[in-house]
Amino acid sequence: MDLNKLLVSLLICLQCVSMIFLWTLDATNVVSEVKFAVFLAVDLLSFAMVAYGYRKLRGGQLLSHIWILLGSLGLVVLLFSGLLFP
Amino acid sequence: MTAENRSTLSRLLKWFDTRLGLSYPLLRPVPAYAISPFYWLGALTVVAFIIQGVSGVIMLLYYVPSPGAAFTSTQYIFDRVYYGRFLETVHLYTAYAMIMLAFMHMMRGYFVSVHKKPRELMWIVGMFMGFVTLGFGFTGYLLPWTVVSKSATDVGIGMIDALPPQISSLISFLVVGAGGDATELLRFYDLHVIVLPAVLLVLLTAKMYMLETHGISEPPGSKKDAGQIPIFPDVTIYLLELAAMFGAAMLLVSVIFPLNLPPHYTPELASQWIPQPDWYFLWIYQILKISVFEGLGLPIALGIVTFVFILIFLLPFIDRGSSRSIAQRPIFVTLGLIFIGEIIVLAYWGLKTPGQTIPLEEASLVLGGTAILIGSIVLGAFRFFTGGPKRTSSAKTTTHSLNTFGATAAFVIIVSFGALAIGTSLSSIVQIILNGADLISVTRLIMAMIGLACTIMASLTLLYMLDRRTGRLRTKIAFFERIVRPWT
Repeated sequence: MDLNKLLVSLLICLQCVSMIFLWTLDATNVVSEVKFAVFLAVDLLSFAMVAYGYRKLRGGQLLSHIWILLGSLGLVVLLFSGLLFP
Repeated sequence: MTAENRSTLSRLLKWFDTRLGLSYPLLRPVPAYAISPFYWLGALTVVAFIIQGVSGVIMLLYYVPSPGAAFTSTQYIFDRVYYGRFLETVHLYTAYAMIMLAFMHMMRGYFVSVHKKPRELMWIVGMFMGFVTLGFGFTGYLLPWTVVSKSATDVGIGMIDALPPQISSLISFLVVGAGGDATELLRFYDLHVIVLPAVLLVLLTAKMYMLETHGISEPPGSKKDAGQIPIFPDVTIYLLELAAMFGAAMLLVSVIFPLNLPPHYTPELASQWIPQPDWYFLWIYQILKISVFEGLGLPIALGIVTFVFILIFLLPFIDRGSSRSIAQRPIFVTLGLIFIGEIIVLAYWGLKTPGQTIPLEEASLVLGGTAILIGSIVLGAFRFFTGGPKRTSSAKTTTHSLNTFGATAAFVIIVSFGALAIGTSLSSIVQIILNGADLISVTRLIMAMIGLACTIMASLTLLYMLDRRTGRLRTKIAFFERIVRPWT
């Protein structure tokens, strides 16, 4: 499988996970606002990375796989750090 | 439909099209070089405005614009509304980001000369938009009716009285109304949620129209036939990418630094409070605190600030040179950097000295020193790195052979010494005027003047050395030759 497609799939999966977490939040609980912000931020950032990848590939430019992987790792850390909050 | 009818219809459509430009390709492609965040600072400002609008509309559902209920309704949003505190924090931080982005957008435009022909009116419309953005900050600050917001706003409103009566009565009527807290809060609320958004949208439409007409300003020296990128999907995706990153940053900052609501405004509490405006007005506040501008000098201070704003407004008619390159506009680039430097220094100084009057000599030393330091470093850097606007090929080769680091260091030392000398001279003169001449003041003045003379001489010598080395010197001066010979 093409590495580019694999990375984009990974990011889309990450986005889906953050969406699912967002849906599971108890919106009547004031304390969960940190979780809400973190999950939404992960969602937005993974979208930005997917868009970046798409734009680069569409323009025939090289995509930095290392940066995408590091970025994805950072997003996973951010996503799970959101779970630490009550 | 007959051929005659079709022809009449097409003629009619053409008539309208010629006047309204309906068939004109809306959102035309942008040049490839515009795919950079620096070209979309204005767009990010609009994104911030949209986030403001959405969060503001949700808060409107709970907020009550009356002195008795403004604070309690804000507190209700904070404590009882789900995600209310988060919403308030996002609204505030996005407002800060909007002001900062608008400022960066303006300064970037200044440095790359977007204000030049044919975009003069775009610049002026942009300036009006900047004013409206500051207006959002000023009017929104009062709405929570906290002691911090009310005290600072009262200082701002108090300044209106220092203006000429015809202007002050008009502004007073528009901003404060008939008088009293209730009218004042309602006016601010109306301005914040109705008038200013409407004005900003009109101005935004006008600016977008002009942007469509003139296109994105090309960087100096760029090729006209640079590749074009379609708005959809490429530029749209890029903009969404930037907007997503901006939104995520705002969300994270808001949860890391959540807002705390200051105490409720009461006249008793306000009397013990030192009023301090929000950071974006601190530089103006600091100017007003200079001792000479206190009391009767206030109109002069306001006049100076107004004059600065007028200069920025009329920039397209002041900076009329044909060159748009940064390297060929040393004076304007230097002035722009001095402006940024002074604003940062004034704002930081204002933050550190709340409520304190600033002595004139101290202000002269700090502001004059900042201007001289930045100005000299930037002009020196221009001379070292570009060799000036009219560089010859021989000069170009010798400029690179200069000991740039040493010369820059010498310039910085000379300029720092000069700033100190000027500041000391000014403070000594003020001291002598205020307290009369005594031995210490006069000695200090003489020493400072000698220091200043040495600085001027050292600067001239350094410039002479540079011109000598770059081959731009036309006449050798015996006096300087004697000084520079041991160094060359």
